[in-house]
Amino acid sequence: MIAADNEPTDDSDRQTQLLRGVLDMCLLALLAREPAHGYELVRRMEDAGFGAISYGTIYPLLTRMRRLGLVADEQQASPTGPPRKVYALTGPGRSHLDAWQKQWDRFADTVAGILTPPDHNPTRSCP
Amino acid sequence: MNTIDGALAEADRAWRAYGVGSADRAALADDLRLDLQAAVADGGDPTQLLGGDIAGFARRLADEAGVRRVCGDYRRLLGTALIGAALGGLLGYAILTALYPMLVRIVDLPRSFEVPIQLALAVYYGVPAGVVVVGAVTAVRLRLRDLPRIRRTAWMMSLLMPAAGILITPITMAFAWSTGYSTAPEVIATEVAMVLATLAGATVLARRLSIRDRQEPSDTTLNTTEIKPA
Repeated sequence: MIAADNEPTDDSDRQTQLLRGVLDMCLLALLAREPAHGYELVRRMEDAGFGAISYGTIYPLLTRMRRLGLVADEQQASPTGPPRKVYALTGPGRSHLDAWQKQWDRFADTVAGILTPPDHNPTRSCP
Repeated sequence: MNTIDGALAEADRAWRAYGVGSADRAALADDLRLDLQAAVADGGDPTQLLGGDIAGFARRLADEAGVRRVCGDYRRLLGTALIGAALGGLLGYAILTALYPMLVRIVDLPRSFEVPIQLALAVYYGVPAGVVVVGAVTAVRLRLRDLPRIRRTAWMMSLLMPAAGILITPITMAFAWSTGYSTAPEVIATEVAMVLATLAGATVLARRLSIRDRQEPSDTTLNTTEIKPA
């Protein structure tokens, strides 16, 4: 039995687990809209409503996606500071994103189908 | 910028302890520096960005980058070398005990012939010492076959351990002389510790040198490609 005192922690853990399953897909989706550097992606994730996701989580994930060829990076000169390492989606990254998005839609539909109560709730009538 | 340098130095120590080679460490650090510089230009603070656990972040980054890791496994190495050296010491003592009377019987030197004391000492102590080294190297080579680059480690040990022995012998002798060649247990223990510590240092150095990267980054890591906007 889960004590009521643990609920905020439980919520946070569940949120973390859910995010872990979709974070790479979300990063690809954000990069599909516009290339960005690592810190910019952190801010975009925050703006999207995920709350504070640490740079220490996003940067290693970007590195993995780069290793897998899903994103590419290049240095871009910046008028206001040092050159920026900007990430963008690659062709394989686009294909993966499309596939993952379809998979996510099916998954979300299935979960929604289970969670949504039926429209007409049959009541048991007394004989 | 100093904060970036500090964070990168801490990450580098973590990568080093994690067994990441120098070329991969340099590639990871260069990439991370660029990204952190961009973040700082946007108002981020590197220490806050990476969080309190920079070592954990560095290990995670190395894993995600797919770099090759070569672990020193120094504890296993030293334990195995010590067992091999101890067995070698026993064998050396046995050889000497058996060989000395045999040589006396076979080689009948005239009374007038004087063996140089240096030669006598070199043979008397050199044979067991040689067998100790052979024992340590053989044990490492055979028992730690699963470790990467162990052949190179064993080879380096076979060079460095005799050199360490030659280095520590006069120092230990000088120490013994300074104590009036005392046979007090603490003096003997100190002399043994000095020799063992030097041999252990040679073993660790042999391993470090053998796993040092040859400046080739992992194939899987960090190939920067041209941007192809989606």
